[in-house]
Amino acid sequence: MTESTVISTRPIPGHPHPYAFPAFERQALANGLTVVRCDLPGRPLVSATLVIRNGAADEPAEVAGATVLAARGLSEGTERFDAIALVEAAERLGASLHADAGWDASTAAVEVPATRLEPALELLAELVAQPTFPAAEVERLRDERLNDLLQARADPRRRVDEAFADAIYAPDSPYHRPAGGLRETVEPLDRSVLAETFRRGLDPARLTLIVGGDLDGLELIPVVERLFGGWIRSAEAAAAGPIVDRPAAGGARVRLVDRPGSVQTEIRVGHVGVPRAVPDYHAIAVLSAILGGLFNSRLNLKLREEKGYTYGAGAGFDFRRAAGPFSARAAVNTEVTAAALADLLAELERIREAPVTDAELSAARDFLVGVFPLRFETPGPVVGALGGLVVHDLPDDELVHFRERIEAVSAADILSSARRRIDVEGARIVLVGDAARVAGDLEGAGFGPLEVVRDDVLAGGPAGATPG
Amino acid sequence: MSLPVVRFSDERLANGLRLIVAEDHLAPVVAVNIWYNVGSKNEVPGKTGFAHLFEHIMFQGSRHVAKSQHFALVQAAGGTLNGTTWLDRTNYYETLPSNQLELALWLEADRLGTLLDALSQENLDNQREVVKNEKRSSYDNRPYGSWAEKLQAHLYPEGHPYHHPTIGSMEDLDAASLDDVADFFRTWYAPDNAVLAIVGDVETGLARASVKRYFGRLQRRTVVPPIGDLSLPPILGEERREVVEDRVQLPRIFFGFRAPAFGDPRFEALEVGMQILAGGKGSRLHRRLVRDERIAQDVTAFPLGFVGGASMAAGWATVRPGIAVERVETAFLEELARLGAERVSDDELVRARALIETEELGALQRVEERADRLAMDATLFDEPGRINTMLERYLGVSAEQIREVSEAVFRPDNRVVLTYLPTTVAAPVAATAEPVA
Repeated sequence: MTESTVISTRPIPGHPHPYAFPAFERQALANGLTVVRCDLPGRPLVSATLVIRNGAADEPAEVAGATVLAARGLSEGTERFDAIALVEAAERLGASLHADAGWDASTAAVEVPATRLEPALELLAELVAQPTFPAAEVERLRDERLNDLLQARADPRRRVDEAFADAIYAPDSPYHRPAGGLRETVEPLDRSVLAETFRRGLDPARLTLIVGGDLDGLELIPVVERLFGGWIRSAEAAAAGPIVDRPAAGGARVRLVDRPGSVQTEIRVGHVGVPRAVPDYHAIAVLSAILGGLFNSRLNLKLREEKGYTYGAGAGFDFRRAAGPFSARAAVNTEVTAAALADLLAELERIREAPVTDAELSAARDFLVGVFPLRFETPGPVVGALGGLVVHDLPDDELVHFRERIEAVSAADILSSARRRIDVEGARIVLVGDAARVAGDLEGAGFGPLEVVRDDVLAGGPAGATPG
Repeated sequence: MSLPVVRFSDERLANGLRLIVAEDHLAPVVAVNIWYNVGSKNEVPGKTGFAHLFEHIMFQGSRHVAKSQHFALVQAAGGTLNGTTWLDRTNYYETLPSNQLELALWLEADRLGTLLDALSQENLDNQREVVKNEKRSSYDNRPYGSWAEKLQAHLYPEGHPYHHPTIGSMEDLDAASLDDVADFFRTWYAPDNAVLAIVGDVETGLARASVKRYFGRLQRRTVVPPIGDLSLPPILGEERREVVEDRVQLPRIFFGFRAPAFGDPRFEALEVGMQILAGGKGSRLHRRLVRDERIAQDVTAFPLGFVGGASMAAGWATVRPGIAVERVETAFLEELARLGAERVSDDELVRARALIETEELGALQRVEERADRLAMDATLFDEPGRINTMLERYLGVSAEQIREVSEAVFRPDNRVVLTYLPTTVAAPVAATAEPVA
């Protein structure tokens, strides 16, 4: 190989081609339902999402899991069609019809070629307007959720996320439990609870239909008017109240869920974070990229590229309507658990101690700014981001200004956000691993009081009676 | 409805590098995807996992790029990137704002030309540990995580290039030396063993000129060693069964079958058939096992295409608590047999075709996927134009072709059945939190 086979100097980029977040129009129907139309020429696969501003965080604790189950139950039958008829009708259109719920909202969505948008929207409207929640199907969905909870126990990643939420939030916060609910709250759920839960959010004023894709020649508004314009507010509709996001009081700093024989330890370190509506949102985005978002983030460089402790380490804030969690995370081989945890904590300290370097700052800002057009190449993510505006009550120009606000973030802003938003002393440390092999090291390393949780794998017994 | 046609140029540089460029100016982005015609099937005994470990080394720097700078430079340019290794191939890709095309080309050319300049024991040891942790995260510490390795081992005999998994074994990873890395690089990484696809907001002539500038002086040097014999009988010849105890809550039954090679029209008929069998909530398996009989928590089935010898058709069902494992296995196998005994209905075919059409439309709308397909079709089939004929091929599959291939594949003497059962060790009695010291 001779010196001349490759070019030694890194190329200088040309000028970026212009890019702007796609324009969209917003229109309210007479009944209060909002329609957002985003024309994306050349994108024939249209994405349509009905956002219902009623999520798992809005449900009473005693029926935890009802919102998620109700959303999934939408496609189990309507006044005109049973579940199979619905799914077959969607498939004939080549449409994937999907309803689900998260903490902040429930959604019913469809992806379909533009030429078949109207019949697909008819199905979407049918699901949301006329669900019957058939008792037998609700029972099946409930049993599936109970079985899923059992399976989550056996999966170290799911187990640690569950244990982490349980450790950092107060018991009266919905974020303390999984959005899909717990065994004791899911077991009693039936069709009447689901119907009631769903109707609580069924107020056209809390509904937004977002349609993105190549809509050329499509008269969208009259179609939406016909399908959704007749809806009226359910008598049971209730406004969303405040969400409790209080941190847990007390408890040992380190919680280790024993998983005998585990070849890795799953690590989560963190605490209650911040809601989406914070003034330093953009500084936190850059901070998160530097700490644990980029491949060359401090955590990944240290734990993976320097030490080889893990396949990947990261950190970030989960932005919800109320304060979602901040967490740093990694799965490390059992032998290095205490050493990896010490390194991870040291990085959380370090980002609070001194400003990030100019190189770190520009790498993170340039990534977030540059990757923006890539993220929004196709209708699905555009519609998803517009849904985020709806859920978080953000202004229409939020995405338009995203890049310039990221550009404006300084090292001082990041230091200030790190000190304000990351609390190493108050962070809880939650692990799933082999206690016999790691508990001694953890204690010896002085991370703080340690409690060991031992799962009874048979607790509660299996779900789903044997049908003969 | 029809898919937009992907128009592309297709040529070879003097050093053998195959270059494919497709313009698309809808968004100011460009995808670069380079496929090397080497995968885990090219590994020799004692060196399993090597193609993949090597892929990691490709991110550890080259003559003009320091360790970890490949990722850093692409991300700072607003790009996304990764590499993947599979049985038949290895690929590396970057998707960037279109004004950053040259950065990706420079980085790819530098490591293709000068990787060994930056190779060090320290970097090898570091990535060896990373890959071992990848194996632990993705397989060893995951419920049911050993299924793919076990199906491969049963379906492809000892010594067959598909017998072992891409991730390799801990022992072989431990044994990998700097000399192994250098040998592997010199053997497989050369412009005439690669396809470079560029898709997006670029001008073909300018892209070609850039590729020539960065790659043009790399030396052609491949004398590709003969690969192990990939041929094998289309049928396993016996039913193979294994019971696996694992740290799981619910039993799960995995099924594996030898299937026609990737690229064979019968493989496409199998893909359509398995869509009808298990693609979504309207499919036969979901409807019967999950919805009607309620004996399974979930169910899936899918083909995995390999170009040599035989592909794999695989599937699984998770057994609901209180249900006999045998009952689920019987129902699953009955549905497979039915697909080979009777033709699917017209309505099933219509629905499967509509879903496949939407899926193709969805996949091909992204420049990254188009670049991947073009490079794949050129590398594996020497036919990049397949990207424009695949939908037609799927839509042309008949009910009889589905029946025929299903009858040939889903035979008792062609199947592997893995039954995962919860470990029988006594569980601790209490669910308690106990303070330690």
